[in-house]
Amino acid sequence: MNDRDTVLVVEDEPQIRRFVRSTLEESEFRVIEAATANEGLHAAAQQRPTLLLLDLGLPDRDGVELIRELRQWSNVPIIILSARSSEAEKIVALDAGADDYLTKPFGVGELLARVRAAARRAGRAAGDSSAIVKFGDVSVNHLSHAIERKGSIVHLTPLEYRLLVLLIRSEGKVLTHRQMLREIWGPEHVESSPYLRVYVGNLRRKLEADPARPRHILTETGIGYRFVR
Amino acid sequence: MMGVPTLKTLSRPQTHVVRWHVVAVLACLLLTAGAYPLAGRLDHANIIMAYLLVVTVIALLLGRNPAVTAAVASVLLFDFFFVEPRFSFAVEDAQYLITFGVMLAVALVIGALTARLRRDADGANAREMQSRDLYGLARDLAGALTVESVAELVADFTRQHFAARAVLFLPEQAGGLKPVAASGAPPIDDAVPGWVYGKGGALPFVDRHSGESALALPLVVAGRTRGVLVVATPERDFPVNSMQRPLLDAVATLAGIVVERLHYVDVAREATVQAESERLRNSLLSAVSHDLRTPLTVLVGRADALANARPALPAAQVETAAVIRDEALRLSRMVNNLLEMARLQSGRVVLRKEWQPLEDVVLTSIREVESGLESGRGVTIELPADLPLVEFDAVLIERVLTNLVDNAARHGRGAIRVAARVLGSTIEVDVTDEGPGIAPGTEESVFRMFEQGSEGSHRGGRGVGLAICKAIVEAHGGRMAARSNASGGACFTFSLPLGRPPLPDSSEGGLPAVARKS
Repeated sequence: MNDRDTVLVVEDEPQIRRFVRSTLEESEFRVIEAATANEGLHAAAQQRPTLLLLDLGLPDRDGVELIRELRQWSNVPIIILSARSSEAEKIVALDAGADDYLTKPFGVGELLARVRAAARRAGRAAGDSSAIVKFGDVSVNHLSHAIERKGSIVHLTPLEYRLLVLLIRSEGKVLTHRQMLREIWGPEHVESSPYLRVYVGNLRRKLEADPARPRHILTETGIGYRFVR
Repeated sequence: MMGVPTLKTLSRPQTHVVRWHVVAVLACLLLTAGAYPLAGRLDHANIIMAYLLVVTVIALLLGRNPAVTAAVASVLLFDFFFVEPRFSFAVEDAQYLITFGVMLAVALVIGALTARLRRDADGANAREMQSRDLYGLARDLAGALTVESVAELVADFTRQHFAARAVLFLPEQAGGLKPVAASGAPPIDDAVPGWVYGKGGALPFVDRHSGESALALPLVVAGRTRGVLVVATPERDFPVNSMQRPLLDAVATLAGIVVERLHYVDVAREATVQAESERLRNSLLSAVSHDLRTPLTVLVGRADALANARPALPAAQVETAAVIRDEALRLSRMVNNLLEMARLQSGRVVLRKEWQPLEDVVLTSIREVESGLESGRGVTIELPADLPLVEFDAVLIERVLTNLVDNAARHGRGAIRVAARVLGSTIEVDVTDEGPGIAPGTEESVFRMFEQGSEGSHRGGRGVGLAICKAIVEAHGGRMAARSNASGGACFTFSLPLGRPPLPDSSEGGLPAVARKS
């Protein structure tokens, strides 16, 4: 982190805001607070934060609405804060353009991991990405489309390859089933999630060291998948 | 003598039949007595005219049969008192036989015509009155707001028009018929109304309790029987003639329409109340959930921050902070379970079922619990590689697995094992541990809310966790059971029905066309 990353926290509960602020400041982040959606929008426009932590239950406006508005002019990573058992709400927010979510209650470790990943993503978006991506004992060459695992070639079908590229491109981000289906199969197949699950299973079998306990292609139950290196 | 004809008088026109005939004869005698002194001065033609007049009046007032009597009496009296030889029915001039014949014929025709005219007029009057009264009843019923007032209005109507009481029987929610507000009146046996309600046809009967003769009429509206109207009178035979049945049927139909309207008003009101209470419950749930989660989030976060503070706190404080964090997390899980249970019990949970492999949720559920396990305890997963896709709500089945593994972690001992297998048309999942097992006889009750574990277990109640598991599995059409293993540990098993997944095979050939991009 050359100059300090700025995190905008849009949350109406002052106690949670304060906890998030102290945790992030201890880890060298600069923190701006906003208690309402409108305050949040203004702060996002004027202070250009590196990323946004956004509570979905705001008093003045629906958080999803704020995401849609923000996405019209900004690519700033958005991490939503949401309650358990509101997966539908999370999916709507992610489809609207949010990158990731944290389920309340969350610990320090979780918060920092998500915020750091998002900040890294924001920093990387500016620079160019390497043609060769490595994770675990797998290396993916985007130029030659060659995939190696422990030095030997792994054969992927064209669909599996495109799925892998999509996952790598969205590293750290949560991809909803809908987003992945639209991206790979086209908008008319957004409801055919069994296909997606079968292909993710295939990818795991070919790339994960222990497909039963995947470490890179992770399931977000009821929502979608997340790729981590 | 007859005044305005009412349904009542019309309904019994034959009661005084003998008296009317006597009156007819008396009228003729009276005329004879009046005309007799003038016998020499009056022409016979005029006397005959006077007799015809009397027959006409009798026909008008008393109807056809007395008019016939009067006609015959007129001919006989005329013959006896005025035609030579007088005071004898014998006739000197045979021409008078023609006179008698014509006189009788004219009297009969006039009488018949007049009587029919009269009857038609009476009928028209009666029908008009019926219509007017029915209209009045319809108007009153239209304003009725309760079934009690419907019953009262109908009872008033039958009392006025049939001198009979009416009892309205309406179906109850529990099944069966119930009389509406028959206060003070002797009860009517509901066997016959019940039969009529089931079969839908009118039936005359004699009431068992009161001995009244009665008629049970179904209230049929648009093909559905809405209730039964019983009209009863103490008189021996209940008058059901052709004039009255249509009227009674019309009353029954009117009452039926109003009862149906009131029924739908009730249905609409009930739906509104239910929607309102559902809305209240939901907003209460989300308010409670928000109000509990906010402090829990702060508690978990702050305790975690303490445990991870730099520079590190002394070990004892770090441990305290970690315990606070873990317990707050447990409390949060309990809150989630409680809220989930409230949602499930409201019966309005919509399952977001999708075809997916079971292993995904097994893995994520274990990831959640594994970190909190005591050292030396692990979770082993035994899933066959060829498990088919199953249709389920991932979030809820993950909750089931999390709760079962968490339950095994807290109440059991040793290694926890999650295994699945296909069994006929279901997939069965076991979560087993090596602890004390399930106390015999509690295999069912462990799934009740806030049921304690085996005796001597002081590791906290099982809360709502297992109850939720059962509720979720059953919402999926599956079954949930608990038993002790042969080796002693507890074994919780749930099954989910297997369907036909929409994927015939997983080869690339079976896929929809791929949108080529590059």
